Amino acid sequence: MGISFREVSHTYRPPRGRPVLALENVSLDVREREFLALLGPSGCGKSTLLYLLGGFLPVEAGTITVGGRPVSGPGPDRGIVFQNFALFPWKTVRQNILYGLEKQRLPRAAREKRAQDLIELVHLRGFENSYPAQLSGGMKQRVAIARTLAIDPAILLMDEPFGALDAQTRALMHEELLAIIRRTPKTVVFVTHDVREAVYLADRVAVMSARPGRIKEIVDTSFGGERGSEIAGTREFTEKVEHLWGLVRNEAIIAQERQGS
Amino acid sequence: MARLTIFIQGLLRWVSILALLAAWQAFAEAHVVSSFLLPAFSTVVVRLYHDVISGDMVLGIVLTLYRAFAGFALASMSGIVIGILIARVPLMRWFFDPLVSVGLPMPKIAFLPVFILWFGVFDASKILMVAFSAVFPVVVASWAAAENVEPVLLWSALSLGAGRRQLLWEVALPASLPQIFTGLQVAMPIALIVEIISEMAMGGEGLGGSIMTEMRFADSPGVFAGILAIAIVGATLVKAMEVIRHRLLIWHPEALAG
Amino acid sequence: MKSTLTRYTPLLLLAVLWEIAPRLGFIDPQTLPPLSAVVRAWIGLLRDGDLATNGLSSLQNLVAGLALGIVVGVVLGISMAWYRPVEVLINPLIRVLYPLPRSALIPVMILWFGLGAASKIAAVFLGCLLPVVIGAFNGARGVEQVLIWSALAAGAKRHQVLWEVVLPAAMPEILAGIRNALALSFILLVAAEFIISQRGMGYLISSYGEGGAYDAMFAGVLTVSAVGFFADRAYLALMGWALRWRG
Repeated sequence: MGISFREVSHTYRPPRGRPVLALENVSLDVREREFLALLGPSGCGKSTLLYLLGGFLPVEAGTITVGGRPVSGPGPDRGIVFQNFALFPWKTVRQNILYGLEKQRLPRAAREKRAQDLIELVHLRGFENSYPAQLSGGMKQRVAIARTLAIDPAILLMDEPFGALDAQTRALMHEELLAIIRRTPKTVVFVTHDVREAVYLADRVAVMSARPGRIKEIVDTSFGGERGSEIAGTREFTEKVEHLWGLVRNEAIIAQERQGS
Repeated sequence: MARLTIFIQGLLRWVSILALLAAWQAFAEAHVVSSFLLPAFSTVVVRLYHDVISGDMVLGIVLTLYRAFAGFALASMSGIVIGILIARVPLMRWFFDPLVSVGLPMPKIAFLPVFILWFGVFDASKILMVAFSAVFPVVVASWAAAENVEPVLLWSALSLGAGRRQLLWEVALPASLPQIFTGLQVAMPIALIVEIISEMAMGGEGLGGSIMTEMRFADSPGVFAGILAIAIVGATLVKAMEVIRHRLLIWHPEALAG
Repeated sequence: MKSTLTRYTPLLLLAVLWEIAPRLGFIDPQTLPPLSAVVRAWIGLLRDGDLATNGLSSLQNLVAGLALGIVVGVVLGISMAWYRPVEVLINPLIRVLYPLPRSALIPVMILWFGLGAASKIAAVFLGCLLPVVIGAFNGARGVEQVLIWSALAAGAKRHQVLWEVVLPAAMPEILAGIRNALALSFILLVAAEFIISQRGMGYLISSYGEGGAYDAMFAGVLTVSAVGFFADRAYLALMGWALRWRG
């Protein structure tokens, strides 16, 4: 289930105003079971690329294939987690997690068991019958992740999932996410503007240019495969962060200048 | 501590209302104005009691509520459907947008004689008049609600395996419910008001009609008793809507905060 | 300009339908006279003075009730926000009146003032009062303390602060309340005129309806609806101009 982007372009057409070229000829391969981060300044189109992959926006120019077949709409093979959680506020934690399972028409007992397993996995036991409005940001994101994982998608799309959380919660979520990926390996495409986060979590980081988004450079951040929290202190880590930060900073400056003009 | 403050505030509210009623009573008993112009509160209450016991008032309340509810139900169902259609179907929006925008500030009660011409002098004309007046806030609220459903909610459902057809019932409608219900809460008092006015203008049975009859007989306590009944009915309906809202929207942040 | 035209095209279509359907017999022309007949009736009403007499009567009573409601409402609302004793006194009155449809009080107005203009003005006044009081009260209450303190520190007396700081700052809410009151004033006036009859647009509509002159009846309904609509639009423009400092 590798992912392939070939010459993907996208034009954003607002209801009022001129069309804007958001992405220009993006070509990129994501290997199976790889954790790829899309890194770039605000407005560079990284979320747009994710939404195109997710099938939420139509692919008008270029091709995106998953496992060899072109993307033609959203589906349970590509689960998505959004920055603002997108939980169904009228459903409890359990009901949110059950939603995808109901769509898959699993028998009742199997559904309930799987939902409970996921609730345990994301450490939310005791909150099964709470509503999202009663949860903290970190807890909500855990529910969102559990909900997406419930249907066991081969590919996990994450759109700045920890952007709305405070630094401590974010650090905890990093650990939880890595633990989950270790247990059930998936292909992950992770959008972020946080350089450290990208280097810490991803196997490779694709840096995008300012709008119109292009792939500027791809940096290997696998650190030889094994990753624990100690890598954050190593020299190699810091060097990579600095290198990427320089790239992103340049693009951010360009984006700012363009906005001013 | 906060609980105590809220309790005391509630108590003070009732105390002030009781003080107002006491003032009314004192004012009336002092005969500052004739008891025709302002019957004593006690007189009015006793009269209301008698009317309820004798059954006349009950019939009136039932008739008024029946017609107001029928019109409200009609307005709610059609309003929600139209509002959602406007949000999703461009042709509907093109057609209904000017109708709603022109119709909203119009005094729709002016159409009462039209409805009488078209539907006669019995229940149908009143019910449809109520529906016509009450549908506008429901349409506006449903339209706004349907337009403001967060796309990420719909996208999440799609990526979890929902079919496009299921999105309306399973995501858009529940997500829109708070705003739609607010529209219903606005429409409900409108339904009651329009029903009362229609009855007063057309006469016959019902709370509004009875009050007009009593007025013609210069039955001042009767008129005030009728108004008291309307006030109680109106307040009860508003409260009932609030309770229903709390039950239905138990998941809403504002319900959980309180 | 073009977009306004295209926006209101469906109304044009309905107007055309209104003309054609009764003529072709799809709708009984007794129950819905063709639009042209209604327009002709309207011109007739204008010419024989019927429109002017009743229209003027309605306008006078509406404006009187509305103006009274606005003045009393603003004074009351701001006083309630500014002087605690006033609030304690008036608040229960408002709480009691709020859920009561003010139109239900029309019979009481008739008991008190008889079948004349006074009852209609009183009915409109009562209908307009509450939205304005509430708007003024909330608006005045919501004025930031720092504004008031700055004014006092600059040497203003308490009542000057009321006029020069609180009132302008409360304007958005007051104007919103008045918009509400405007809509209600039309409703209460027409309702009162249906019930009290004698004179006014409501009387015009219902009497022509009873008399079987349906084209004149529709002409009256359209007139009232149009005036109500344009009054709201005009008020919105006025409100926009008055609040232009808000940006």
